[in-house]
Amino acid sequence: MEQKTPSKNNWLMTIWRTIRVPLLAILSALLVGAVILLVSGADPLKAYAALFKGAFGNANYLKRTLEKTTPLIFAGLSVTFAFKAGLFNIGAQGQLLMGAITAGFLGFAIKGLPPVLHIVLALLGGCAAGAFYGLIPGLLRSYSGAHEVITTIMLNYIAINLTDYLADGPWKDRSGTNVIARLPLIEDSARIPFFGPVPVGFIIAILIAFIIWYMLERTNFGFEINSVGLNSHASRYAGMKTKLLMTSALVVAGLLAGFGGSVETLGVVGRFQPGFNAGLGFDGITVALLGRSNPFGVILSSLLLGAMKGGANVMQFDAKVPHEIIDVIQSMMLFFVTADLVIRKLFRIIKDTGGEVTLTAGWGQK
Amino acid sequence: MTVGVMNNGKIRRRPAWASPLIFGVIVIAVAVFSFMKNPSVTEAVMSAMIRFAVPLMLGALCGIYCERAGIVNIGIEGQMLLSAFTAYMTNVWTGNLILALLAGALTGALLGYFLAVISIKLKLNQIIGGTVINILAIGITGFFYQVGMTTKGKFGPIRLGPLAKIPLVGPVLFNNPPITYIAFLMVIISHIIFFHTRWGLRTRAVGEHPRAADTLGIDVFKTRYLNTIIGGALAGLAGAFLTLEGVGTFERNMTNGRGFIALAVMIFGKWNPIGSALAALLFGLANALQTQLQFMGINIPHQFIGMIPYALTIVVVSGFIGRSRPPAAEGTPYEKE
Amino acid sequence: MSKKFVLVFSLIIVASMMLAACAKPAPTPAPAEPAAPAEPAAPAAATEADCAKPEVICIGLVTDVGEVDDKSFNQASWEGVVAGGKEVDAIVNYVETKDAKDYVANMQLFLDKGYDILVTVGFALGDATVEAAKANPDVKFIGVDQFQGEVVPNLAGLIFDEAKSGFLAGVLAGKLTKTKVVAAVLGTDLVPPVVNFNRGYVAGAKWVDPEINVISTYHPGGMDVAFTDPDWGATTARQAIGQKADVVFGAGGKTGNGALIEAASNEGLYCIGVDTDQWETVPEAHKCLVSSATKAISPSIVDLIKMAKDGSFPGGNYIGSSALAPFHDFEAIITQEIKDALDEGLKAYDANAITLPEK
Repeated sequence: MEQKTPSKNNWLMTIWRTIRVPLLAILSALLVGAVILLVSGADPLKAYAALFKGAFGNANYLKRTLEKTTPLIFAGLSVTFAFKAGLFNIGAQGQLLMGAITAGFLGFAIKGLPPVLHIVLALLGGCAAGAFYGLIPGLLRSYSGAHEVITTIMLNYIAINLTDYLADGPWKDRSGTNVIARLPLIEDSARIPFFGPVPVGFIIAILIAFIIWYMLERTNFGFEINSVGLNSHASRYAGMKTKLLMTSALVVAGLLAGFGGSVETLGVVGRFQPGFNAGLGFDGITVALLGRSNPFGVILSSLLLGAMKGGANVMQFDAKVPHEIIDVIQSMMLFFVTADLVIRKLFRIIKDTGGEVTLTAGWGQK
Repeated sequence: MTVGVMNNGKIRRRPAWASPLIFGVIVIAVAVFSFMKNPSVTEAVMSAMIRFAVPLMLGALCGIYCERAGIVNIGIEGQMLLSAFTAYMTNVWTGNLILALLAGALTGALLGYFLAVISIKLKLNQIIGGTVINILAIGITGFFYQVGMTTKGKFGPIRLGPLAKIPLVGPVLFNNPPITYIAFLMVIISHIIFFHTRWGLRTRAVGEHPRAADTLGIDVFKTRYLNTIIGGALAGLAGAFLTLEGVGTFERNMTNGRGFIALAVMIFGKWNPIGSALAALLFGLANALQTQLQFMGINIPHQFIGMIPYALTIVVVSGFIGRSRPPAAEGTPYEKE
Repeated sequence: MSKKFVLVFSLIIVASMMLAACAKPAPTPAPAEPAAPAEPAAPAAATEADCAKPEVICIGLVTDVGEVDDKSFNQASWEGVVAGGKEVDAIVNYVETKDAKDYVANMQLFLDKGYDILVTVGFALGDATVEAAKANPDVKFIGVDQFQGEVVPNLAGLIFDEAKSGFLAGVLAGKLTKTKVVAAVLGTDLVPPVVNFNRGYVAGAKWVDPEINVISTYHPGGMDVAFTDPDWGATTARQAIGQKADVVFGAGGKTGNGALIEAASNEGLYCIGVDTDQWETVPEAHKCLVSSATKAISPSIVDLIKMAKDGSFPGGNYIGSSALAPFHDFEAIITQEIKDALDEGLKAYDANAITLPEK
């Protein structure tokens, strides 16, 4: 917008300009949440203070916030990657489940491996399962035209049924007192450790986010993915193998979600158990949108959402506020961040570029 | 009629509802056969099929109205949930079911307007708009719902005179509560609107090629607004069905993904009211059969039976039906020049 | 340009607030008012901050995924904590679990404050509770629905013989049915209590008359939806009623409640609730609700809390009673013959003369 006069503060200004709209959006969302809290007779300041305390108040809280952030980063990256190719991956949930249960199975079924090797093996298995679960809608989309939104919704339900069956049938934990549907605990050698209060899975997630960013911005493959997303016809005429690209985009998306599920099983839960991964894939959609389909944005928005999820129980405990308020605030954030027009009007920000959101249009048809 | 369009250079002449119709014929044949053997069970399964199908049908209609005009609506789930809630609350306060029904439809329509403003006026991404509605509905209903309120009843079935006496068909089709009739009526009315009226033609034009429509003097914005609002009201009816007719009370998250299934139903039915209605019935039937198999003590792990409708949808969508093609201008905001 | 939009938006918000504001005065079930969890029944000045002091008793509750007003086991447990808290002059508080991964963290909230008794609800919290109990030997733990494989002295696993009350419900259904078809609409078969209720129910009905056809079905969805799908419950109940079932056993949280309400909208049908006396929790079903196959969660928790106070806290498994709830308005139709059959059935069950079916 303004002049390009190079100044010392230039990069600071750029950052400020990029983040001020999301920041104001988050504040606005908190404000709406506060009004609702006030009306229902709670003290918003107390509630938010408790929320913050619950998210970052001590090492334990921080650890949990990071634990909650980790799968969100993976799921968010998964949705983001598909977005870039013009595809809407509602199936992150199913891919995540397949990854989680495969990693859980490899985690308990293989015995006597050295720790690092076991972890890598289980992670690879989980990634492969997720990738395979992304391959199905990818192939269907590219070669039969079945829309990925419908196939991934269906695959989500199939994944729930399949994992429930495995957890209550062939892979069930048959040890002494167990009565419920779940897999046995994974071997200690498959457990992803902690680095102080920081789960190693979180560090892996950050690394993966960087790799995905590099892939999308700096490699030929990423360029082709982006151009398919922007205009698949033009890409085809430009000689790109659009079908293969779309398929591989969903495979990568599935791999990422499966990765997230594996890290969740090996690093947090310690076994696969139905219901323990509920909703993570769908949160991935929110995270991807909040993060404006940018891998680094995904990290930040995952942290934000992870903090809200992590702090919710302390908020209820200390301030007696039902945790559903988190959902209200979350939806408002999503709304305000994406409705930056509203924010700009409200806060009278002159039109400037805060990083355009490029997302799939409609059903991804171009 | 509808899908005689160019698609990858191929011209498909098979109407949208052809494949669901084939299923329909098979289903009817099986139903008649089993009716001879065991009338009450067949009736029960068919009735359950219709009950499962009604919210899906209305939800899919909502999707059709929005998307035919070029607005993607993935917020059907949220529209249903919030409408179910307001319909329930109105029923609690007033005890007037008609009023409650209207409140549900109104809530849906308001959320439809919300989505329309987001996508038409603010030109935001429509998928985000829908996602906002979904999360908002979960949050608001979860936050504000309180136990201990009781309703003063729910809609009971209305027998349609002599029609209800026809064997099999009568009890299944003509002895239903009002929203079920409304749903079937809306399917037929919508089909007529879309394919036999000027309004429908204009709506489809707006969804396919807004610029051309604009040139011909069609008000693109107005068409989109109205369709999204009507669609919202239909999703509201689907929500009202759950609280006023299906269950009679509200529970958190009681839609349980029906809005998303409705989306699948819509695509399955190729954005065509009758096709979608048949698809909804197919889903309903799969659900009812699933229950029936368990009733009969057939001990396949029920997860596998539970998978059947979803697996079937994938098979059908990817092969049998062929490519289902959304309206061309869907998801993109229209800018006047 | 966005003025109109902001208007609509605020309208929606305001409307929902009005809903809530108006909803407030509605009657709520007496003991489970969640809005006022921390009402100190304790000596005048004691607050939560005093929990660490030995003379102040604090009781905390961690729910399974769900709310304390879920009309099911979370609610029953919370009612038990409230009632038990009154008995021993304790401060009570709860935390609702939203994410199953938070069980440990939610328990820790109470442990950090120095709570003396911790109630955890649901089989899924079993492992976490055992670990917490071992790590905090001074705190008494009550694990609802948690079978204990080994005895931890400060942990009582409150378990129930669901098949027993399910069996009685089956006997009652078998005696009441005229069509010889009775139905059960159940939550998931992924958790044993639901399965046990059904096994007992089937056995009970068959014990009355082997000719009786018991049609039962589990929700096909996963754990996340199986207990919260009243529409599925209602439709499934209707499907059962359509094939002449005239007694419906609804066992599975809100899914089961949907089945009860559906049965109530028909003439001349009976329905049987589950877990608690559902006469109190599902008033919509009064028209058909003869009884409920209960497990005495609340009274058992009260008992355990009292034992914890006077030092007779039992480690290991503590079997709470499971029985039929009162017949309420249906007292008149429960003839002496039915009552005798129930007594006789109970004797047979207690004498292990009943073999339960597989699932």
